[in-house]
Amino acid sequence: MLKVLHIFFKHLLPLWSVRRAAILSTVAGLAIVIPLSARCEEPTIGQPSVDFALRSLTGANVRLSEHRGEVVLINFWATWCGPCRQEMPLLDELYSKYQRAGFTLLGVNIDATAAQAGEMVHALKVTYPVLLDDRQEVSRAYRVGSMPLTVLIDRQGVVRYVSQGFKPGFEKRYAEWLRELLNE
Amino acid sequence: MIHNLEYEFMFRKVCFVLLCALSVAGQPAMAQEPAATAQPAASEPAATTANVGGGEDFKSLDQEVQSLKKEVLDLNRELFVLEEDLLFPANTQVAVFVSMDVGEFFALDSVTLKLDNKEVANYLYTEREAQALLKGGVHRVFIGNLKAGEHELLALFTGQGPHTRDYRRGATIKLEKGVGAKYVELKISDKAVKAQPEFIVKEWE
Repeated sequence: MLKVLHIFFKHLLPLWSVRRAAILSTVAGLAIVIPLSARCEEPTIGQPSVDFALRSLTGANVRLSEHRGEVVLINFWATWCGPCRQEMPLLDELYSKYQRAGFTLLGVNIDATAAQAGEMVHALKVTYPVLLDDRQEVSRAYRVGSMPLTVLIDRQGVVRYVSQGFKPGFEKRYAEWLRELLNE
Repeated sequence: MIHNLEYEFMFRKVCFVLLCALSVAGQPAMAQEPAATAQPAASEPAATTANVGGGEDFKSLDQEVQSLKKEVLDLNRELFVLEEDLLFPANTQVAVFVSMDVGEFFALDSVTLKLDNKEVANYLYTEREAQALLKGGVHRVFIGNLKAGEHELLALFTGQGPHTRDYRRGATIKLEKGVGAKYVELKISDKAVKAQPEFIVKEWE
């Protein structure tokens, strides 16, 4: 092993150009840093949720803290996000089923214009409140890295579950989490 | 003076942590006491004097714990006030409040504040919050620090005016910041004569 290293440093390394070495080290560094930072980009489970107020598509302002006492699911989405289109109708089913049990679902759209969000909501026949985060202040506060991001908050306003992305079958786990929090 | 405040703040924080630790340590002792007094009673029914003594000890310990908890709460309150005094000292503090009167001609949606052309606050009011304002509530929309001298405060009100039309109105005030805290009230009231809302900016003395 030592002999290999000796050969590498004495004979092979000087053959590389400085630019090539710099590029390789940058790529290696990014390969380590990016996954680490992506892992850090999630709302903290067990911590109080960040309060916010946003305008909804209907024009009314909605504040998260006014739903204290209910189980809240916040779903961050965008019109350009394919998995979001798959997920939203399934979330709407959950909303219809559990709303009377003290469950609220808030969809937070991060597109720059409300018109696009409105069209998609109308096309998908979504009935839960959709809020507009055109300044992306709330998505920054919740460290939304990838779409969609689903955050489940309990009746005390504490973040309990976070789910990044969507694959068919995720809605079952949302339902399980939801039932657990509603039964608390 | 600021250093003294910082040391005092740290000292109080350390005291708070120590008191919390003591109150937590007191609970296992409290749990053990009844068990210790219950065992002699089970094995020696004649030792009633010991049980009564144990009960009294338990009561006094409970009272001590209660008084300790009260001290912790009082200290917490003092720390909170001290923290605000430290972050927003009276000589640079400026606070802006929003209040509403009647509300027949204006339904408040949001308030944006700009201090010296820089946005410092943007608050969206929900239906519940607007109702609270109409019932006499006063909302502190901004608290910050300002240097002494002349400053300009611009308040932008957005909402629905008469005949449910979208309404956007601004009010400007020149603030002369001297020594002492500055409190500004933005009052929205109805002007029946003109059937329009009126936006009054008032400085509290």
